[in-house]
Amino acid sequence: MDAEKIIDSLSSKFPEAISDTTTESERRISAYADADSIVEVCQYLKEELEFGHLCSETAVDLIQKNEIDVVYHIGSYDHPVVLTLKARLPRDNPQIESVVPVYWNANWYERETYELFGVQYKNHPDLRNLVLPDELLGDWPLRKDYEGFPQNTAKNLV
Amino acid sequence: MDTNVGPDEMLIHLGPQHVAQPGPFRLNVKVKGETVQDSEVEIGFIHKGIEKILENKTYLQGIPVVDRACYLAALTNEEAFVGCVEKLAGVEPTERSQYIRVIVEELSRIQSHLLGYAEYASFLGFVSMFMYPIAVREKVLELLEMTTGARITHSYLRFGGVRDDLPEGFEAKCKETFDYVRKGVEEWGELMKTDMIYRERAVGVGVLTPDIASDLGVSGPPLRATGVAFDIRKDDPYLVYDDLDFKVCTETAGDIDARIWVRIAEIYESMYIVEQALDQMPSGPLFPENLPYDRRSPVMRVPKGEVFYRVEDPRGEMGFYMISDGSDKPYRVKIRGPVYPTMQALPPLIKGTQLADVVAIAGSMDACTSEADR
Repeated sequence: MDAEKIIDSLSSKFPEAISDTTTESERRISAYADADSIVEVCQYLKEELEFGHLCSETAVDLIQKNEIDVVYHIGSYDHPVVLTLKARLPRDNPQIESVVPVYWNANWYERETYELFGVQYKNHPDLRNLVLPDELLGDWPLRKDYEGFPQNTAKNLV
Repeated sequence: MDTNVGPDEMLIHLGPQHVAQPGPFRLNVKVKGETVQDSEVEIGFIHKGIEKILENKTYLQGIPVVDRACYLAALTNEEAFVGCVEKLAGVEPTERSQYIRVIVEELSRIQSHLLGYAEYASFLGFVSMFMYPIAVREKVLELLEMTTGARITHSYLRFGGVRDDLPEGFEAKCKETFDYVRKGVEEWGELMKTDMIYRERAVGVGVLTPDIASDLGVSGPPLRATGVAFDIRKDDPYLVYDDLDFKVCTETAGDIDARIWVRIAEIYESMYIVEQALDQMPSGPLFPENLPYDRRSPVMRVPKGEVFYRVEDPRGEMGFYMISDGSDKPYRVKIRGPVYPTMQALPPLIKGTQLADVVAIAGSMDACTSEADR
């Protein structure tokens, strides 16, 4: 499937929700999606445009814009195009619908993004920390203003 | 998983040490008799914080760090990282260095598959079958060591090229090693076809179907063992893979046996790729003439931008997503490793199987916890 055609199809299907589309090369495209319509966009990508493979899902802390971008890299087993789909969220209350009903393997990616960035995934089947201990939940270590783990052991030694 | 157990059920914790994969993780399994009812994977025992570390290191300093995401695939991790930086900086590695990269990355795939096979055999209780492939793997590691100077964490790739050229006598030693590998793999293959215990433990056990594998996001040999011919080297080619002749190795059964055979076929295919690359390799410089920065500069600045670059790791699709803000350090690095979906796929895969098969199934996926727990 052709990169330009994918962008056109996506933009014409969701004229309100899709913006800032770019074609970086014939195999890499990107677009911003409205946070409220992320599930419908993903559904369309999977069912109509052969984007059946969620490569990864993560977030980027844009501290100067006071925003967090949730970033989905969606590929396919049938064509080489990878779409970088992003959704802008306010940094003080980042909330977005979970895409687990569309991409099963988003489960762990969303749990990880939640504990490292504090992005709340609505209707996620099991939103709890995946790799960090419970006492670190709420620290959001991959945010840019994170100052470091409270070194309890070192404090005891001092 | 619901941890409440009925009167005829039992909750068994496998791990966090030695649960059929290198590195600590825990598999909580709920069984009824011998049958697995439900399970849950717990990771996070060795979280290394590599993404955060990379954001605080210069680009050059990042290379040894990405090696350590999974030391069995250090060279492909480097390729993904270095490739990202090259795309951002607009640097194209020279043809000779691209061929050298292909050679060392394919050697890395061979050693990883040999270890994966050896470990799987040891999980079934074939202790000798652990030793034989490890001895052969040593020979492949020697080839890598004479080229890069290190056995497993190489720091060999550089932006625009490779650190050193292939050493003298590499080709002859390569030929000798491949004879040794072929002899060994052929012998074990015969054993796998005839040994009843192996057949009983592997054939028809832990079956993944193509639909489920794609749904789970699985890539690499576990996906190709279901018949899906998805390989980044063919589907989203990088370096000079387009100029080389090789086939994507697939099987259709989707069971443990199929996964092992895909890896064995890939060992042969990788050797074929290395031989071709050695034949076709052009002479010329290792670095482009108009490199925009000093080769060893720790403070190179990369133009603003973002890139998603992926390569075929021994375990599947390894991708790096990198954002540069124009400074000398990346603003954000996300590692998309192949092991994450593979481990996530374990609970649905072992549901309904026998408890004794759990270790065999988990082992056959050849996952590296260290890479998932990065």
